Amino acid sequence: MTTATKPTTGSTGATGPTGATGSTGSTGKQRRRRNTLVGWSFILPNFLGFAALTLIPVIGTLLLAFTNWNSYTTPEWIGFDNFRRMFDDGNFWTALENTTWYAVGHIPLTLVAALGLAVLLNRKLKGVGVLRTAFFFPYITSLVAVAVVWNMLLSPELGPVNQFLKFIGIANPPGWTTSTEWSMPALVITSVWRDMGYYMVLYLAGLQAIPGELYEAARVDGANAWKRFWHVTLPGLRPTTFFVLVMLTVSSFKVFDLVQVMTEGGPGRSTLVLSQLIYRQGITQGRFGYASAISLVLFLIVLSITLVQFQLQRRSER
Amino acid sequence: MRKIPARALTAAVAVSLLAAGCGGGGSDSGTTSDGRTVVKVALWNYDTTPEFKALIEGFEAENPKIDVQPVDILADDYADKVTTMLAGGDSTDVLTMKNVTDYSRYATRGQLKSLDSQVEALDKASYSGLDPFELDGHYYALPYRHDFWVLFYNKALVKPTGADLSNLSWADFASLAKEITKGKGTDKVYGTHFQTWRSPVQAIAAAQTGGDQLGGDYGFFKDQYELALDLQKSGAMMPFGTAKSQQVHYKTVFESGKVGMVPMGSWLAAALLEDKAKGVTDVDWGIAPMPQIKADGKTTTFGSPTAFAVNKKAKNPSAAEKFVEWASGPKGAAAIAKVGVVPAYTGDEVQKAYFAVKGMPSDELAAKAMKPDAVNLEMPVSDKTADVNQILDEEHELVMTGERSVEKGIEEMNKRVKSEVQ
Repeated sequence: MTTATKPTTGSTGATGPTGATGSTGSTGKQRRRRNTLVGWSFILPNFLGFAALTLIPVIGTLLLAFTNWNSYTTPEWIGFDNFRRMFDDGNFWTALENTTWYAVGHIPLTLVAALGLAVLLNRKLKGVGVLRTAFFFPYITSLVAVAVVWNMLLSPELGPVNQFLKFIGIANPPGWTTSTEWSMPALVITSVWRDMGYYMVLYLAGLQAIPGELYEAARVDGANAWKRFWHVTLPGLRPTTFFVLVMLTVSSFKVFDLVQVMTEGGPGRSTLVLSQLIYRQGITQGRFGYASAISLVLFLIVLSITLVQFQLQRRSER
Repeated sequence: MRKIPARALTAAVAVSLLAAGCGGGGSDSGTTSDGRTVVKVALWNYDTTPEFKALIEGFEAENPKIDVQPVDILADDYADKVTTMLAGGDSTDVLTMKNVTDYSRYATRGQLKSLDSQVEALDKASYSGLDPFELDGHYYALPYRHDFWVLFYNKALVKPTGADLSNLSWADFASLAKEITKGKGTDKVYGTHFQTWRSPVQAIAAAQTGGDQLGGDYGFFKDQYELALDLQKSGAMMPFGTAKSQQVHYKTVFESGKVGMVPMGSWLAAALLEDKAKGVTDVDWGIAPMPQIKADGKTTTFGSPTAFAVNKKAKNPSAAEKFVEWASGPKGAAAIAKVGVVPAYTGDEVQKAYFAVKGMPSDELAAKAMKPDAVNLEMPVSDKTADVNQILDEEHELVMTGERSVEKGIEEMNKRVKSEVQ
């Protein structure tokens, strides 16, 4: 390191006429520049990867949204035609509606389930570690396996779920993934089951960060368990809840894998979601311009919801 | 001192990257170290698709100067992968055309070499499945295999009824299926099984009535839907919802003896032969012609040919052409007939080789089934095919699960194909 700096200081010394103060000023500047360069060089490998694999493709997608491109010809600039087409495309609206339904079901249910589990398992019980692991397990299980097994569980005739429902006296149990009415609830149930363990872990970390004195003080003031939960636990978890909410929103709107494996968007179009439409239009049909336009719209939807969440969070903090 | 290793490391990385780059180019020179010309063939599931091995080994035995190397791709990803390869300017010599739709996509984009002169030399009288490959009078692929749908039946279940399967109408088929159905719960035997695809209902209706699956007017599906729904309702066929959610596979239910008759593509024969040889199943099976809508004594069914094409950017185009020609000709046909696969070339010799396969049903009924009077294309080829396919698939599901009545379903198909497909 020292060998590298020596000649440069020497050379500034040689230019001398600016005097002693100027010389220290320029070495300060140089040091800052050097520090910046060192900093850049540290993040460069990562940034290069990010730029090549994420940033440039994302910008490319933005541009492609305004073109007609099938991956063979040169993209043809068509302005807003793709968006006009989207506006008239029944499949787009169906997918948007379905995605919203999925989000409206998946976000609150997962949030409540994860919080409930975390509160239940945030105590010193025998075997609590085993239980925590058990609830986390679905999250690390292969999604394809999850989808296939749940499909079997929910099978209308032979599935254990419906057999049980019949046993407790429900004569006409739902058709789940084979009926347009119940296919989305079936997906939501499966995804809540899969995701709640992950968010439970986040909540557990949040719970452990709440100081015990607050509970003690509340107890001294005569607050019962419910009041302590409402006035101590929930406010204490606000940063965690905010984070969980944002993550859940993003993951709900871009849901793809579970739907693709479990229902393939069916029956009919009852579970067709936006990411699936993007996949079909882009990869299957080769309409990369149109698919990019849909993904741009999806991006804007998620972005605006997240911005609203940030606004609300900021307001509530005031 | 500390700087030297860092510099050395950078240099080493740079050199190794360059070397890797050169190495990649070098090994792709198109010849093997012992001077044989390399022909790379893009295909799928090499290990479980015996026809590829039969073709490659047969060809190499006759052409010792050529080394045919399989480029194995997962069957489900085949079309996407080949599309990506071609977009990247890949030089794989021979491309297998899994279906006609993908073929027309590659050919119209100018990615395949014209094979017109090879087609002219063909003995067209004993060659089937060529027509769908014609694009404006030109051919860019030669079919080597031609699967079409027949009726597989379980002899132990069908024989006791004494039914004659040689000339079934769909109504006969339905009552026979109901007759075979017996048992309950896990012992239940279904008369028939329709795979959840739309083809067993829609493609059959199109082939036998002459209806157009791209036309946007699907009234001709009606009878076939009513038949399928009646079979389902009477219990002679597994409910669609169960089959779909349990991902029931036609081969599994047929091999376990749980179903009497399965309309299916002739490829099932090869799979059954293999499983029987392995001892996976001991089902005693036969082949009969597809049941018919029209009672004119003629057998009409549908099918789809599989072909080889030569990449326009092929490294060794002349060797590649040689392979394609050989594979689709009599010798290639004989090679794949021996593994129970139906070749596109169907001379008497080849037929004989097909029925001589150990375990292949060789009775008169099978012979009739394997010589249909007409084999129509499963789905017509056009730039609308993929979109129409999607719509028909979605509506098929809704009709079969009872979410929509047949009339409403057909109405919806008509409406959506007309409004959504541009």
